[in-house]
Amino acid sequence: MEKYAYIGKDMKRIDTSLKATGGVLFAADLSLPRLLVGKVLRSPYPHARILNIDTVRAEKLPGVKAVVTAQDTCGDKWGVFRYTQDQQFLPTEKVRYVGEEVAAVAAVDEDTALEALSLIDVQYEVLPAVFTIAEAMAPEAPQLHEVYPGNINIHVQIEVGDLEKGFAESALVREDTFTAPEDAYFMAEPYAVTAQFDTAGNLEIWMPNAGPHLKAKPLSNVLKMPLNKVRVRKIAIGGAFGGRSEISPADVICALLAKKARRPVKIVYTREENTVATRQAHSMITRIKTGVDRDGKVLARDITCHLDGGAYSSTGPIAVSVPFLCMEQAYRLDNVRYNGYRILTNKPIRGMFRTHGRAFACGVDLQLDLLGQELGLDPLTMRLRNARQTGDYTPTKSFVASCGLTETIQQTGEKSRWREKFGKLPPYHGIGIGCNSVQTGFPMGIRGGSQALIKLNEDGGATVITGIVDNGQGNDHMIVQIAAEELGITPDDIQLITADTEVTPSDPGSYSMCETFIGGNAVRLAAQDVKKKLFKIAAETLGVGEKDLSARDRKIFVTENPTQSMSMAKAVRIGLSRNESISGEGSYWPNVDSKREWVKNPFGQLSETFSFGTVICEVKVDPETGQVEVLEVTAAQDVGYALNPKVIEGQFEGGIAMGGQGGMLSEFLQWHEGRVLNPTQLDYLVPLAVDMPKINNIIVETIDPNGPYGAKEAGMSVAMSAAQAYCGAICNAIGVDLHEFPLTPDKILKAIEEKKSKS
Amino acid sequence: MEECKNQVLTLTVNDETYEVITAPHRTLLEVLRDDLHFTGAKESCGEGVCGSCTVLVDGSPARSCLTLAVAVEGKAITTIEGLARGDKLHPVQEAFVTHHAIQCGFCTSGMILTTVALLQENPRPTEAEIRRALSGNICRCTGYAKIVEAVQSLAGEER
Repeated sequence: MEKYAYIGKDMKRIDTSLKATGGVLFAADLSLPRLLVGKVLRSPYPHARILNIDTVRAEKLPGVKAVVTAQDTCGDKWGVFRYTQDQQFLPTEKVRYVGEEVAAVAAVDEDTALEALSLIDVQYEVLPAVFTIAEAMAPEAPQLHEVYPGNINIHVQIEVGDLEKGFAESALVREDTFTAPEDAYFMAEPYAVTAQFDTAGNLEIWMPNAGPHLKAKPLSNVLKMPLNKVRVRKIAIGGAFGGRSEISPADVICALLAKKARRPVKIVYTREENTVATRQAHSMITRIKTGVDRDGKVLARDITCHLDGGAYSSTGPIAVSVPFLCMEQAYRLDNVRYNGYRILTNKPIRGMFRTHGRAFACGVDLQLDLLGQELGLDPLTMRLRNARQTGDYTPTKSFVASCGLTETIQQTGEKSRWREKFGKLPPYHGIGIGCNSVQTGFPMGIRGGSQALIKLNEDGGATVITGIVDNGQGNDHMIVQIAAEELGITPDDIQLITADTEVTPSDPGSYSMCETFIGGNAVRLAAQDVKKKLFKIAAETLGVGEKDLSARDRKIFVTENPTQSMSMAKAVRIGLSRNESISGEGSYWPNVDSKREWVKNPFGQLSETFSFGTVICEVKVDPETGQVEVLEVTAAQDVGYALNPKVIEGQFEGGIAMGGQGGMLSEFLQWHEGRVLNPTQLDYLVPLAVDMPKINNIIVETIDPNGPYGAKEAGMSVAMSAAQAYCGAICNAIGVDLHEFPLTPDKILKAIEEKKSKS
Repeated sequence: MEECKNQVLTLTVNDETYEVITAPHRTLLEVLRDDLHFTGAKESCGEGVCGSCTVLVDGSPARSCLTLAVAVEGKAITTIEGLARGDKLHPVQEAFVTHHAIQCGFCTSGMILTTVALLQENPRPTEAEIRRALSGNICRCTGYAKIVEAVQSLAGEER
């Protein structure tokens, strides 16, 4: 008998047949009786004092059922952390970016709602604004918030080892600066939220989210409602990529409108609103100084990174830390200093992004290439000499329980025929490599663990109840796969109740790559809990010991003699008739250091385990146009164990599209005085089917000691390595190291021409 | 400005006839979603770029966010809801499910309908022809590899 019935198999996802028929509802698809259309009035100024808001004319417009402003709010400032409470969802005093919410209306239809917005009269006193990190840090710069002098929002400071000694002992030291502007999520689904109150004052609310509990608690705080009255419901989610983890002003505004109008309200963002008024990815300026010995081993690294955070904190402390943490996980490093600054500007708010930190990661990797070049060592060798290993501690003191980075480097190298190609390709052809590592969760306070419940039905079927969220990557299937495997029933026997704060227990959410590791473990434990109860019944009935039993295909059987068996249904019915519990509970709390804190104490176990990935990219550059043709991409990740290999391949391919093809070749936001000039897919160039190269996927399995079946996470280390591989390949092709990303044709052409004119 | 008068419109959607009363400026996407509750067609960009709102009009893919409802009276409109026959998925739907061509599912309706039209016109497209045909449909999740594989499986040239 095979070890697993479902785990490790290429299974069709349980949710995709419904998605293929248009039967799945997203937040914008909901309709409710007497539903109103909500629309938001936004600031036209990057920085202005609100002097007065007159809503009288809007309120009088026939068909308008509610108008809300800051006067309808509690006025509290919200923040992800206690020390970052700086955002009011409808500001009372100032607006700080173009697009910030000022007021909102609910009306019988969209045309009426839009007309009502035009009737709201807001008087502003326009204030001087800052649009770049340099402007924000200038001595006399206008200040966005009194609590952040110098517009410095967050400073993360980490120093480990003896930096001076490391540099002194280095055979070679380089210092370079790398920059990249903001990128954007462009998830397919624009943000949408629908809210209604029942007569008992309970709020029901639907919106795309990375964790319903992450939405419910802040909603409860700012609406001054007990948590049990805030019911964030499950709804299909059209992509998140890190951008839907926090409460959105639209959630609060929609609830306020529904309360005031006493009718359900739906707000659907336009594409422009989704780009400007949800979250964006930070722009970065990263200065990196690295010293290596003659063998290419890094002896010291000193990094200063400035991130443009926009107008509010959002997940700032995390955002400042993650680019550094990924790289300290990926490469061994004894002596290191990091100074990360998040600077506030009068631009939209920046949050976590799937491929967070291209200027950072490409800087570290490209600099390794350049150091290697001077030492006569190729980039692949440089990676192997510095690769993290199982059993290591990271500089900030995380134990690495399993690490297959070396295998990912070796296997991508072999598959892409690196040794045959590097330095031997025709002119304007290039090959590059990138590596990275991501965590599977981090200390998240009281919401750091996941709990799951399983209810068995009298026919042997089950209902799994968990807070795990699926925002497109296939987490719902992962839950079913684990529960079916453990219980010995089929996926068809399982119903899911997920991501509903009224019903499902606490869970960190689909955030920081933790759902498989933390949520998956909780589901597995719940299944084991109820299975134990059934085995007790079966053991008595079959006259064997509990340890002698296995479960598969809806049967409990004696492992050594499978003909001696009873049906799952029968065991359940015996349990029911004996008044025995036949429900399962599981909870998983990851082994992380709860004293670790992003700013005050960035040391201790960050995450129970980490994934590791490598991407190799081969390109051809047209020297006449600067256009890049990507010939082939090879990606490998240590995923721990592949629960559903096709799902993992899909994550690799999507990560390469977003991180490499888009992130290094075409994607960036353009600005004019705080306004986004390219907020739609017409101007912001996400990759199309014709753009994408051939991709080779390599799954590396290290069987993590504590992951469910050894699994860790499914593809983020590939997504986080792709930009570096693309960058390295282009620089290799043209023989120039470029430091300003993304590498668009104009920059490439300029570099080629400058090189020609020099020689 | 003269007030736009509502019109009575007869639309044929998925082989059934519907009468709707609508203002002449409303798009096919609005009428399909809001009046007839065919929510499988999605709005993602609202300006004809992303392909999420694709439906078939007389068998050809159309951006329903740019098509006025009044312009398609008398034509056969097919939405994603009209492809399966009872419980049996259309072969393109089946291929998308089997080949993991669906992640979040938001672009899926448009992607599948574009594929149906492609295969109708060109039953054995090459990979390059598939990629070209699907390049008016943006997917942010998959990197397109599994979508192309799904279409290739129907074009008889699976990798």
